[in-house]
Amino acid sequence: MNLCLKNKIRRCRPLLGTYVEVAVEHDDSGQAQAAVNAAFAAVERVHKLMSFYDPESEISRLNCLAAQQDVVVSVETYHVLQRAKELYERTQGIFDITVAAELLERGVLPKPAFFKKQKDYYGRTKDIVLLPDRSVRFLQPLQIDLGGIAKGFAVDQAIEVLKQNGMDNGCVNAGGDMRCFGDEEQPVLVRHLLAPDQFLPLPALKDAALATSANFYEYEEKDPLLCAQIHGQTRKPLLAPLSVSVRAQSCLVADALTKIVFALKKGSAAVLSEFGAAAFIVYPDDKILCYDGKLLRKGKLG
Amino acid sequence: MSMVIPKQWRGGSLRFVSVPGIVLLVSAPGFAATYLTVEQAQQVIFPGQNFTAVALILSEENQKALETQYGLPVHSVKQKIWRTEQGGFFIIDKVIGKHELITYAVGINPDGSIRQVEVMDYREAYGDAIRQKRWRRQFIGKTAASSLELDADIKNISGATLSCRHVTEGVKRIMSLYELVLKK
Repeated sequence: MNLCLKNKIRRCRPLLGTYVEVAVEHDDSGQAQAAVNAAFAAVERVHKLMSFYDPESEISRLNCLAAQQDVVVSVETYHVLQRAKELYERTQGIFDITVAAELLERGVLPKPAFFKKQKDYYGRTKDIVLLPDRSVRFLQPLQIDLGGIAKGFAVDQAIEVLKQNGMDNGCVNAGGDMRCFGDEEQPVLVRHLLAPDQFLPLPALKDAALATSANFYEYEEKDPLLCAQIHGQTRKPLLAPLSVSVRAQSCLVADALTKIVFALKKGSAAVLSEFGAAAFIVYPDDKILCYDGKLLRKGKLG
Repeated sequence: MSMVIPKQWRGGSLRFVSVPGIVLLVSAPGFAATYLTVEQAQQVIFPGQNFTAVALILSEENQKALETQYGLPVHSVKQKIWRTEQGGFFIIDKVIGKHELITYAVGINPDGSIRQVEVMDYREAYGDAIRQKRWRRQFIGKTAASSLELDADIKNISGATLSCRHVTEGVKRIMSLYELVLKK
């Protein structure tokens, strides 16, 4: 007789511009359902605070006002900006949340009414000043987009909520940026770069996060202007068709590091090692590279 | 799943293991996930409430109004609609993207605000256009592709982020429908 049959709950909601899936396992189905609701609420909060698309978000307020005055933000936004500054410094500016100006110019992001020309916004992440009372000031005019980091942060927040609610096992997947916790290993597949109905198995995840950035199979049809990956130093789009997955302890770091690996490829080994992360790159000719800083292994499909 | 995932790739080691000469591809032409039944979705969005089905027949006039006034094509008038005892609405709709078919539910509060959106069912399908491309042919006879139904073991798929634009547009259409014919 099985007295402690686990309840598995798996739900999905459209948030953060993508589909966010939350899965948990627990003895009590009511408690599990409540935990999933709370996890979605945490994701919704990040969405509300950090969406570039929402003119009411804190990020929109910063973009509109912070060059003229100090703007007080939430604990969460302040924390993500701190991490973004740290990543900017540790990657010599390759990871730069101020590439929003380029994305706006290219039409990847919708232009707010006050936005005129890209060259009016020459500030960089180093020009974002985080003052002690949670207020933020831009030293130069600039535009922030947290698209390369906020999804990962939202996943981390949701995972914390699931743990606080006493879940034994859980997994949150925000459009491919995911994190799992618990005793169970979670098998993970990554979509093939060119054949989207084919999947490559990656090492199973256990108490870790994985994020992927890719110039997807559609690159053939896509307008290069709409490329969302911009090199923070050169401000040039990263058009090479690649699929980059990074595994790290937190999803925020995994999410951000995919952009670094995208820009540096093999040159990212030192950064990966510094963050205790591992990368898995798939090239369109099916060459595969896996490394975690020291080790560099190659393989090929077929 | 042991047939699909090479054994040495399993385990929680911190380091990616060596890639063997041949990497097995998992072919899943019909990736699908079912999250909630109608009853489950109702209870998730409006816990503990009772639901009464609403029969909705859109007049030609209303359909035209929806299209012109809101600039949204009435993709389907077959939405399934329920009214809650407290005056809220629960509506099920389907949207079709380039490669996906999604069934989702929208809960509307009695005051007309959106209460919650839940995806009930997600299915992917890639048509001939993708399959027949030249690059696709190179895999045939070359890769150890194993076909399988993505079962309970495979839940976690990573890759380029998929946009939820179609559902967002669908929700807008449902809110227009609410404004025009359901709101009292």
